[in-house]
Amino acid sequence: MKHITKAALAATMLTALPAVAQEQESATIGVSIPAATHGWAGGMNFHAQQAVEQLGERYDNLDFVLSTAPDPGQQVNDIEDMVAARGIDALVVLPFESEPLTGPVASVAEQDIWVTVVDRGLSQENIEDLYVAGDNPGFGRVAGEYFVENMPDGGQIVVLRGIPTTIDNERVEAFQQAIDGSGIEIIGMEHGNWNRDDAFTVMQDFLSRHGQIDAVWASDDDMAVGALAAIDQAGRDDIQFVLGGAGMKEMIQRVMEGDEMVPADVTYPPAMIATAIEMTALNFVGSAPVSGEFIIGSELITQENAEEYYYPDSPF
Amino acid sequence: MNDAPLLAIRDVSRSFGGIEVLHGVDFDLRPGEVHALIGENGAGKSTTMKILGGYLPPSSGTVELDGSTVSFSASDEAEAAGVVMIHQEFNLTEQLTVEENVFLGRELTKGLFLDKTTMRARTREWLERLDCHLDPTLRVSQISVSDKQMVEIAKALGRNARVLIMDEPTAVLTRRETDILLDLIARLRDEGTAILYTSHKLDEIARIADRVTVLRDGSVVMAQEAEGLTEDDMARAMVGREMSDLYPDKAPEPSGETVLDVQGLSVPGHVRDASFTLRRGEVLAFAGLVGAGRTELMEGVVGLREATGSVHVGERKLPPNNVAAARSAGLVYLTEDRKGRGLLLNKNLAENLTLLALNRFSGVTIDKRAEDEALTDAISRYDIRAGDRGMLAGQLSGGNQQKLLLAKTMLAEPDIVIIDEPTRGIDIGTKQQIYGIIQRLAAEGKAVIVVSSEMAEVIGLAHRVVVMAQGRIAGELTGDDIGDEPIVRLAMGLDAKEAAA
Amino acid sequence: MSAADTTTQTGGGRRLDFHVLGPVLALIALIVLGTLINTNFLSPGNITNVLARSAFIGIIAVGMTFVITAGGLDLSVGSMAAFIAGLMIIVMNATMSVMGVGLMTVIVGILTALVAGLAAGAINGLLITRGRIEAFIVTLGTMGIYRSLVTWLADGGTLSLDFDLRTFYGPVYYGGILGVTWPIIVFALVAIVGEIAMRQTAFGRHCAAIGSNDQVARYSAVHVDRVRTATYVLLGLLVGVATIMYVPRLGSASSSTGLLWELEAIAAVIIGGTVLKGGFGRVWGTVIGVLILSLIGNILNLTDVVSPYLNGAIQGVIIILAVVMQRGTNVSR
Repeated sequence: MKHITKAALAATMLTALPAVAQEQESATIGVSIPAATHGWAGGMNFHAQQAVEQLGERYDNLDFVLSTAPDPGQQVNDIEDMVAARGIDALVVLPFESEPLTGPVASVAEQDIWVTVVDRGLSQENIEDLYVAGDNPGFGRVAGEYFVENMPDGGQIVVLRGIPTTIDNERVEAFQQAIDGSGIEIIGMEHGNWNRDDAFTVMQDFLSRHGQIDAVWASDDDMAVGALAAIDQAGRDDIQFVLGGAGMKEMIQRVMEGDEMVPADVTYPPAMIATAIEMTALNFVGSAPVSGEFIIGSELITQENAEEYYYPDSPF
Repeated sequence: MNDAPLLAIRDVSRSFGGIEVLHGVDFDLRPGEVHALIGENGAGKSTTMKILGGYLPPSSGTVELDGSTVSFSASDEAEAAGVVMIHQEFNLTEQLTVEENVFLGRELTKGLFLDKTTMRARTREWLERLDCHLDPTLRVSQISVSDKQMVEIAKALGRNARVLIMDEPTAVLTRRETDILLDLIARLRDEGTAILYTSHKLDEIARIADRVTVLRDGSVVMAQEAEGLTEDDMARAMVGREMSDLYPDKAPEPSGETVLDVQGLSVPGHVRDASFTLRRGEVLAFAGLVGAGRTELMEGVVGLREATGSVHVGERKLPPNNVAAARSAGLVYLTEDRKGRGLLLNKNLAENLTLLALNRFSGVTIDKRAEDEALTDAISRYDIRAGDRGMLAGQLSGGNQQKLLLAKTMLAEPDIVIIDEPTRGIDIGTKQQIYGIIQRLAAEGKAVIVVSSEMAEVIGLAHRVVVMAQGRIAGELTGDDIGDEPIVRLAMGLDAKEAAA
Repeated sequence: MSAADTTTQTGGGRRLDFHVLGPVLALIALIVLGTLINTNFLSPGNITNVLARSAFIGIIAVGMTFVITAGGLDLSVGSMAAFIAGLMIIVMNATMSVMGVGLMTVIVGILTALVAGLAAGAINGLLITRGRIEAFIVTLGTMGIYRSLVTWLADGGTLSLDFDLRTFYGPVYYGGILGVTWPIIVFALVAIVGEIAMRQTAFGRHCAAIGSNDQVARYSAVHVDRVRTATYVLLGLLVGVATIMYVPRLGSASSSTGLLWELEAIAAVIIGGTVLKGGFGRVWGTVIGVLILSLIGNILNLTDVVSPYLNGAIQGVIIILAVVMQRGTNVSR
């Protein structure tokens, strides 16, 4: 497994770019992703669209089919349609859920179609040619380490979790391991479903329930927004900071501006879909095939480096 | 005829919520006889039938089948024992076909699959016995009301009933269909079936019954062989007094001005080019066969149906398709379908009473005290017999529902009232009351149109009769010309005399 | 027939008890449970939170009560709220760049929400009455349309109200009179007016008549189509009102805003004793239904005893119980 950072990845691609071939056989690349049901997914949709547009312009021989699905069943239908009706040569898929998509994607791979899986791994190994993903345990670990570093005397924190999924479980487990033995105690943990409204409600109830909360791990920037609003409303000043995650532009802006309640953020870039699409495209424009596993690490954003992660044009 | 009863109830009483509605009733059914059970609405006929059919247990007393005491815990146990009840309100599933309804719950199968061929053939055979040539593959929602009745009876035939309990089976049938049904009942009787028959049409009872039992206020007041019993005898026993004048004296021939003028009214698919007028103080009857378009014409007049042509109330021309405008011009229509279109069966009496005239009871909010007073008034004026003022309209007996509907309509203080089948399915005592009310309205200077399929009613009430046939006005009769024969001739389309009006 | 006869004849008193007291008893039971579980349950802060977060669904559910009573259904309200919120944010941000942060900008936003709500309700109502299309189908369609529109307006992400504007507008959610916040006040007003309209006015009576039997209503000179349309317009307007309260809370709208609100509103209406197939509606029951649903979530957040995964299961059990209690009292002729 290679651990590469974004910068390193960009470098790989730059070296590949000059090999633009004019005489290439034309190819169709199918991209199947979940619909924009929450902020991060919205950003991911945005980056997917941008990548498809740019690559389509850059390489005349490439055609793209992009579809967004509201549920796993629809995603399976989309993929079947792409294979049957559009005769795709490659599939870039961000599975809605791992289990239901494993079989259908495996059968695509059996038809000698290039398969790139993004973010959520399939439940069987070695189906895909290329795997591009964020580092979920890393995301939890980086957040946990930040808490340990900034709360040397320990304290009481509450945790807002995402939609119950493997992703969420991996993050939370890594977070708990990271703070183990540091004197930081999780006094409440509920699902805010990566949703502002839900996070607001859950945070309100945490504030009713606990007289003293030292910090909040919101684990997602949307949820952080909801939690911050609830804290504002309650007028409580016992909470030192709220740590979100994923790198929403508004939150990064607050980090840049030195907001005390939002001192840092952890990346989980929705742009990984664009990376995956580009790497897949490279197979059809003459350069050496890029296969294997690429894990995009989660990084801590603080006031010092926030500017590097700030994309004002992205919707996320 | 075998004298041992097949099904009997002995000294049966039944109470609802502490009120006893049936007091020690004896009734029996012998094989091969038609036993008529008659009485006014609310006399306890339905309760008696339900106890016999296994739908209700008696509060005291016994039910005996073949001489031994039984207690059916549900109607399907009774059906298994060969006791089948045909309800007045149909027990048919609208979205299923005729054959599916007939075999519902006892479908024939061939291996894992339904044996549709046999079921269809049997259904057709049973319908043929009823002289009904209905396609068994039609959906019930597509067939007419009288055909539904036939399907209900075919269903009972399929159950091989030993005892058949029929609750007013002819209420919705035409004369021809009634004849067929009565013939069939005679045939079933000859085959040995025991039949309980109820109807408000005493001529049918006189024609078909072997024995007659009369209920009044929950007790048997008469039980005897039908031989030698006249319709008058039966009516007297039901009402408990002499039924001298069913129809009140007609008000004097009206001479008032024209209050309603309908010209060239057509209702697509039902009525073509109908014109007639109505004067103040007049009772105008509309006669004709079922399906002649009378109801549709009246619904067109009041704006309940799309219609072309003109309707003037006094000098005012009514806008088409606007019931509210007709109502505010003082023209109201009282539907023949009181359960489906007349009353909200699951609402209480006051809410039903004031629905048409709600604007008179509400400013910003509804004046509930005034509503309550109106109910008190209506109960006494129209003699509505309600056990409890808070009861639901659906819990009233048919005759009292009709009186409530009449009270509701009159509360709007109309000048012109169109009453469609004013006495369908109600008992003779209530009929007399309703005739009295109609006459009183005319005498008070209102104008009344009565649509009726009962010849006696038309002749007994109207100053003038318009007869419709096949969607057209076939003719008009006044004064001494009004009689059975001329009406029938016009209704059958025999006299092609054009309407003068 | 026989079952109906016996229950209606003998069960008059009992029917009242169950039907009326069922939801009230459930609410009281939940309050007692909450008090036992956490001492902060009855603190003013928690009570305010629960009431205020009930307000959005509550205001919408009051409107939904009229729609359902008149025999209709509206599945689009959640998406409609999201769409109106998105529209409102865009309009307010645009107005701010002209007029600056101030009362006028907020008023423009409020008017936008009300007009959009009215229009959306009218579209539903007219398609159902004039277009003669099933309410379920029409509102299923508009549900999808509004949900896509808000996603499109937000470009797949989140629409955010300008920070200064949100601070200025915030008191509409967070502020109030004498410690009672605005959403609670508005919810109470809507509920009281709704209850009076349902029970004491010709409009409410007509809704019940139409839901009970629209033919009877038509034959009784009730303007069936007009009243039906009016229920959807009223509901749309109330969705607008709810959105006016919602936007200042987080100052944002996204494709996940108002998700499943329609089902929560419908559930609250049914728990409150309104008959799903129409003909009988009870606004105060709806208010209790909304509070019951909010309290379940609140209590589960205040305790660790029950897994929050089971929130939906508990709500489901309560909805089914509510309908079971309604049965047995329905009178078939």
